Amino acid sequence: MEELTPSNPQHPLAGERARQPIPGAGIDLDPARRPGVPRLHAPRPLPNAHGPPTRQESQVTVFMHGRPHKDFPPVFGTAVPPSGLSGLLRRAAYRYPDHWMRHWTVLLFADRVDAWEHRLRRSLPVVLPALLVIGAGAAWKALSRRAAWAG
Amino acid sequence: MRATSYEGPYRIAVKDKPDPRIEHPQDAILRVTCAGICGSDLHLLHGRVPDTRIGSTFGHEIVGVVEEVGPEVTAVSRGDRLVVPFNISCGACYFCSRGLTACCENTNPSSDVACGVYGYSHTTGGYDGGQAEYVRVPFADVDPMKLPDGLSDLQAVPLADAYPTGYQGAEMCGLEGGETVVVFGAGPVGLYAMRSAWLLGAGRVIAVDKVGYRLDFARRWAGAEAIDFEDADVITAIKDLTDGRGADATIEAVGCEAAGSPMQRAIGVYVKGVAGSATALNWCFHATKKGGTVSVLGVFGPPMALVDFGTAMNKCQTIRTGQCSVKRYLPQLLEHVQAGRMPVEELITHRYPLEEASRAYHTFAQKEDGCVKAVLLPGTGTVH
Repeated sequence: MEELTPSNPQHPLAGERARQPIPGAGIDLDPARRPGVPRLHAPRPLPNAHGPPTRQESQVTVFMHGRPHKDFPPVFGTAVPPSGLSGLLRRAAYRYPDHWMRHWTVLLFADRVDAWEHRLRRSLPVVLPALLVIGAGAAWKALSRRAAWAG
Repeated sequence: MRATSYEGPYRIAVKDKPDPRIEHPQDAILRVTCAGICGSDLHLLHGRVPDTRIGSTFGHEIVGVVEEVGPEVTAVSRGDRLVVPFNISCGACYFCSRGLTACCENTNPSSDVACGVYGYSHTTGGYDGGQAEYVRVPFADVDPMKLPDGLSDLQAVPLADAYPTGYQGAEMCGLEGGETVVVFGAGPVGLYAMRSAWLLGAGRVIAVDKVGYRLDFARRWAGAEAIDFEDADVITAIKDLTDGRGADATIEAVGCEAAGSPMQRAIGVYVKGVAGSATALNWCFHATKKGGTVSVLGVFGPPMALVDFGTAMNKCQTIRTGQCSVKRYLPQLLEHVQAGRMPVEELITHRYPLEEASRAYHTFAQKEDGCVKAVLLPGTGTVH
């Protein structure tokens, strides 16, 4: 029986390959040439991997989600420490494991609060002096009105 | 150093930040020479990914030169040029040692749903990204790949994420030769998936999008037939092209901000009531034949989206998905690049200096000026 390989004109791929323009078409047809097959292979550490990794030391507050019995991973990021009201919300969210809906909804809410806190902080240099000027103006107006009555 | 800084939904700036430092003995510090902007960065920018904190630096497609190494790093040294997979992986845990470096157990305290990822919120470990002058690279011995001489930064940067992710999407279709593959989304990952589908034996590749210049690119660069879903009922069109049954396999390369359904957009994108719009994913279920395979690459944040799972179940479909374990793909995909089978750099239509990150994001997000993929080039002062 004739083998039905891609080089055989009877193979469906053979005809299509002739019509399409991509060089190398079909080169990875053999599963042995596919890097992700099988998805889980027999255990073998990657070259240069030396585990278990040394534990990272950090003064930065890093939350771990509240899954029971899980060890804190040895390596983690310290990009933006939690702060303000959003930080408190995030602390609350991380009390729950990530298969709980409230973990994610509180985190998303904290993100919105974080954005508003940021806007507020950015606007303070403008808003504070403006409030002071308005307050001073109102006080001056009130004082001059009282002086007019007294006169 | 100068670095991108997330300033709230739809806002990104370039600011002064402290230089990264060695925080773990297996760290290295890289001077970034090229950093890609990925479609998934837009989900962050649009406030869709939980625990994306103000001041975060994005960027998980990184090429750079080693500046400093920690005391336990032996395989790379100062001056080496590296491409860095977007996953941060130890290389020795249960999953890494079995090939799933995208599921490393040692790099993310914040969630069990993903391993550490550069510049992708605190949900993926709280690491700063590479859209900056410098970046901290954990497990520098294990994760990154040294770049051979002659391979440019623009050829290398797609190897960090977009190209392996697209390839994996095509690989997960389980092609045996001659199948029809439909790819939803003609952005960079979708285009790499289309071209990879040919390498893996597809007999026919069909691209679906609504952006005309990207569909033209798919025709020209990836040898795909193209369907504009605003011109036709996309499922009917695909069934008409496939003997009424649907495609053998579909690839979802869009993610949580898919267009095409006003209801999904309203609830998932504008109100943010669920984790985005699942329109492209639902179309995959309908466009795939019974017993076919749906390969999902698009990013969907927790907790949930409006997914038409009943259709997939009733049609006996296989759903395959997953973050790409980039490390295991690098040697072979590099071979394809060097052999000219995958001219990855041709997708990079726009290059910007780091200081113009905001303009780069805007051009990429709004699909202006024929932009397919944009990269930032820290250390350069001019637009190329």
